[in-house]
Amino acid sequence: MDRRSFLKSAATSAALASGGLMAGGLTMPTIARAADNKVLRFVPQANLANLDPIWTTLYVVRNASLLFYDTLYGVNSQLQPQPQMCAGHQLSSDGLTWTFKLRDGLKFHDGSPVASKDCVASIKRWMARDGMGQMIHAQLNEISAVDDKTFRIALKKPFPKMLYALGKVGTPVCFIMPEHVAMTDPFKPISDYTGSGPFKFNKAAWVPGASAVFEKFTDYVPRPEKASWLAGGKRVNFDRVEWKIIPDAATAGAALQSGEVDWWESPINDLIPTLKANKGVAVGISDPLGNIGDCRFNHLYPPFNDVRVRRAVLMAANQDHYMEAVSGDDHSLWSDLDSYFTPGTPFSTNYGGKILSERNIAAARKLITEAGQMGAKVVMLVGTDLPIIKAQSDVTNDLLTKLGFKVDYVATDWATVGSRRASKAAPDKGGWNVFHTWHAGVDCVNPAADIAIYANGPGAWFGWPSSPPLQAKIEEWFNATDDTAQKEAMKQINKGSADFGTFLPTGFFKFYQAWRTNIHGVVQAPFPSVWDVTKS
Amino acid sequence: MSTTYEAAPELPEVLAEPRKRGRIATFIRRHPTIVAGGGLLTIMILVALLAPWLGTVDPTAIKPWMRTRPPSAEHWFGTDMLGRDIYSRTIYGARVSLIVGFAVALLSSVAGTALGLVSGFVRWLDTPIMRVMDGLMAIPGILLAIALMALTQGSVTNVVAAITVTQIPQVARLIRGVVLSLREQPYVEAAIASGTRTPMIIWRHILPNTLAALSVQATYICAAAMITEAILSFIGAGTPPTIPSWGNIMAEGRSLWQVKPFIVFFPAAFLSVTVLAVNLLGDGLRDALDPRMAKRL
Amino acid sequence: MLSYVIRRILATIPVMLIVALFVFSLLYLAPGDPAAVIAGDQASVADIARIRASLGLDRPFLVRFGSWLWHVLHGDLGTSIFTNLPVTHMIAQSIQPTFSLMVLTLILSVVVGVPLGVIAAARQGSWIDRSVMLMAVFGFSTPVFVIGYLLAYLFGLELNWLPVQGFTPITQGFWPFLRSLILPSVALGMIYIALIARITRATMLEVLSQDYVRTARAKGVGERSILLLHALKNAAVPVVTVIGLGVGLLIGGAVVTETVFAIPGLGRLTTDAILRRDYPVIQGVVLLFSLTYVLVNLIVDLLYTVFDPRIRY
Repeated sequence: MDRRSFLKSAATSAALASGGLMAGGLTMPTIARAADNKVLRFVPQANLANLDPIWTTLYVVRNASLLFYDTLYGVNSQLQPQPQMCAGHQLSSDGLTWTFKLRDGLKFHDGSPVASKDCVASIKRWMARDGMGQMIHAQLNEISAVDDKTFRIALKKPFPKMLYALGKVGTPVCFIMPEHVAMTDPFKPISDYTGSGPFKFNKAAWVPGASAVFEKFTDYVPRPEKASWLAGGKRVNFDRVEWKIIPDAATAGAALQSGEVDWWESPINDLIPTLKANKGVAVGISDPLGNIGDCRFNHLYPPFNDVRVRRAVLMAANQDHYMEAVSGDDHSLWSDLDSYFTPGTPFSTNYGGKILSERNIAAARKLITEAGQMGAKVVMLVGTDLPIIKAQSDVTNDLLTKLGFKVDYVATDWATVGSRRASKAAPDKGGWNVFHTWHAGVDCVNPAADIAIYANGPGAWFGWPSSPPLQAKIEEWFNATDDTAQKEAMKQINKGSADFGTFLPTGFFKFYQAWRTNIHGVVQAPFPSVWDVTKS
Repeated sequence: MSTTYEAAPELPEVLAEPRKRGRIATFIRRHPTIVAGGGLLTIMILVALLAPWLGTVDPTAIKPWMRTRPPSAEHWFGTDMLGRDIYSRTIYGARVSLIVGFAVALLSSVAGTALGLVSGFVRWLDTPIMRVMDGLMAIPGILLAIALMALTQGSVTNVVAAITVTQIPQVARLIRGVVLSLREQPYVEAAIASGTRTPMIIWRHILPNTLAALSVQATYICAAAMITEAILSFIGAGTPPTIPSWGNIMAEGRSLWQVKPFIVFFPAAFLSVTVLAVNLLGDGLRDALDPRMAKRL
Repeated sequence: MLSYVIRRILATIPVMLIVALFVFSLLYLAPGDPAAVIAGDQASVADIARIRASLGLDRPFLVRFGSWLWHVLHGDLGTSIFTNLPVTHMIAQSIQPTFSLMVLTLILSVVVGVPLGVIAAARQGSWIDRSVMLMAVFGFSTPVFVIGYLLAYLFGLELNWLPVQGFTPITQGFWPFLRSLILPSVALGMIYIALIARITRATMLEVLSQDYVRTARAKGVGERSILLLHALKNAAVPVVTVIGLGVGLLIGGAVVTETVFAIPGLGRLTTDAILRRDYPVIQGVVLLFSLTYVLVNLIVDLLYTVFDPRIRY
């Protein structure tokens, strides 16, 4: 073979190889064209990198799962659990045995009927990963199928919050999967996404980082009631819901304005005036329960192992600064918060939370000096890839510096914060003093899912606050059977948390959602709710 | 041969001019790019050094109630999402870019030269070193730097280290090439034959002959490093956000570029002008120091 | 010749091994923890540890590296920690946008860069030459994302000529496909155009001063034919070299360009994966990029012999 012909053949095989690459790229699913008003193009808050809502607790995964999984119970907009897959339940007179009966017509996407054994396996997997689920597990005698449509949960002591636990909207939600899928180790991801919800997940069309497609499940039988959050009839008017992942906010805004997409879950606040000015775009609050910012202290190490120092930060903090940094100039989006609970909900209280509105730097410095911590070093973990966290951290950095601390601003990404915050080592040996996050308001309406307020030391959330009296008040809430007792417990918890300085709530803030004006029926909910939404 | 052809027509002018005009004027006329680039760069260095006296305020002071204000008499370049003064941040940002540029150029030159010398003189180390250099070059520089930054926490030192690693292979290869060709030169062979010790050969014969190529390469590395720092910060893997760097200011203003373009505009302009200055300087140095190289690039 | 090719191909093996080992150890040492990201805010420390164990992240370094390498040699790049999808599948999904972007950029750069360089060389010292060279330095000096946003603002939002974001697969029509890639490739191509224009100019100048060109001139061959027939052909070698060297540059630029224009390609896949510590994906993509770089440079070396018969191996 001479040189030139060799090169020719080499060039040919190179062309073939690149052709192969192209062909690989071309296997991207071609999207079947449905009538345009039957297709909803939706931009979610984040990339959908996984679809196991038990294995990972990211909200974006929960939101996708709500389309193709169903739940036994579901909370309505009043946060009251209502039967969804269940027809109803019976509770024995001693409060120990719950018997649940499934309603008729429930089917998985593969056509098989939903049976009680599927529910038992799903509840077991969920219990292993959920905070309330673990409480149920701790006092569980037995969970078993009675017949195809009936199953029973028998407890050692009463658990009055059972229906709330099964129907809550905070992650992880107790979704029902087929038994063989639900048998998967709760610490390993599933790869079979067969559910019984109103949509089917099209796995072949899923391009992580770019798009996901959900197709209408025609055999789904909605309940007769009107839809309200997770409760009532989940009626859908779309043949397909297409999720388009657009990580750059400016880019997503441009796509909505030009009509390339129909609905944007989480527009950034600074773009709202531009969106409002566009005739084709409507803007509204997304989740009425909003979010609570959290400046988290490590209670194990100085300076924040001293209650005086924590209280000093609480009394010095100016929540306006935090909220302006997080949410901007639009004051209708945020408010100061003298509470550890979501404002505007039935049991919310600001009892004993006055310290959060004092804004007294001088008094705070005095308290810090008294504690002998003036000039102490503070290691602050900052996940700079999440704007809400970075904005809070920048304000705290300013605040702590004014209070006389030396702040070590550890700029890193959320993946690193996520692992380093779990370290109980000394701050200068791989541990930490402060980090920031935020909690969905729906988790903070009561102590049930509000792990951030727990004060049971090693069992508590990161920072490991330990205050037996405060934790006792939280137990009281769980054991409370009537509204008055619940309300009183929450007042005491709020005061206890502020006195103890469990963490610094940095304020209450909401987000907008934005949609094209030809989309009708968008409601405020803690998740993008497509029930009864139409497109003209 | 071609060199003489190129230089020939200029010769009479060159000989005739210096006496009439001042030496500075001659220098400017003969090396306009060095003057332009060096001048701009000097201005930037002065800006960086004199930052506190240029009407700036604390570049990290936050005023959340004064966020994203457009340029005004009070805030010449406007304010960012936390109400910080973009003018002050941009002026102080010059320090970061210049430090990163110069430090990377210096460190990668030193390390690359050392590796290149070892590779060129110690035969059994030549292959392993060059293979590792090939391996490093095969990883796209930006990705390598991002991965290195994921390994450490954000700081200027770590940014410098990460970018330096991506630049070392080029220098090492350049120096090794020079060493290998110089080794064949009669005077080096003579020195080796007469028993001169290797360090002395390197010091006397090799290093002086690499300086021209090295200094040109170093300016280009400096420019590349400044751009890389900006890109790293832009995608959130660079200088920590507490330090105002041009990349950081742009990264923070990025999602608002449609509605508040001024946040990105000013640092971008400063960065471009500075990199331009360094590149011009590099071009000028190359023309002045090494006419053969001028032909190649 | 053939033995040279084989030697060259064999020489890439240690390079790839070094790349693999390097990338793997980097990620091994990196502090972030995918288990923590997966577990989310509600998970306890013990939960995170269990997820780590189930992902096999608690095994010793050499065991993990060995098992990964073994699978790679069998064409298996592993499974993404997050999506639970094969890495090869994810790469296949995102290769079309990146590949198209790079090819279009390359075509654009050669089509614009080479003529600019030729014109500049032909009119050496004129204002055309000076302005081409000045533009080239500007092209070097502006970060790709600045050019990207400027272009998107001007042609996307102000003039509304071209889409500001996204990628349209070629299956949905060639024109929409091209439209979606014009702005990104111009942004990414700027530095490349500059590079190619400079190289072309420099080589042309050298070739134009060669004896045979002067002979041709003396024989009365037209200036245009001299430029195109004699000079340009010889200028091909360095231009091809630059294309080879520039692939690394192009890959790095693609990462940023894909972020600016929301293109779901390999660059975005990599940066997302790095932020989440999705080790198998990062390793797979970096390996692919490095392999591309090595192969392109191999092809470039082989092309030398086509363009310049004097080069023999």
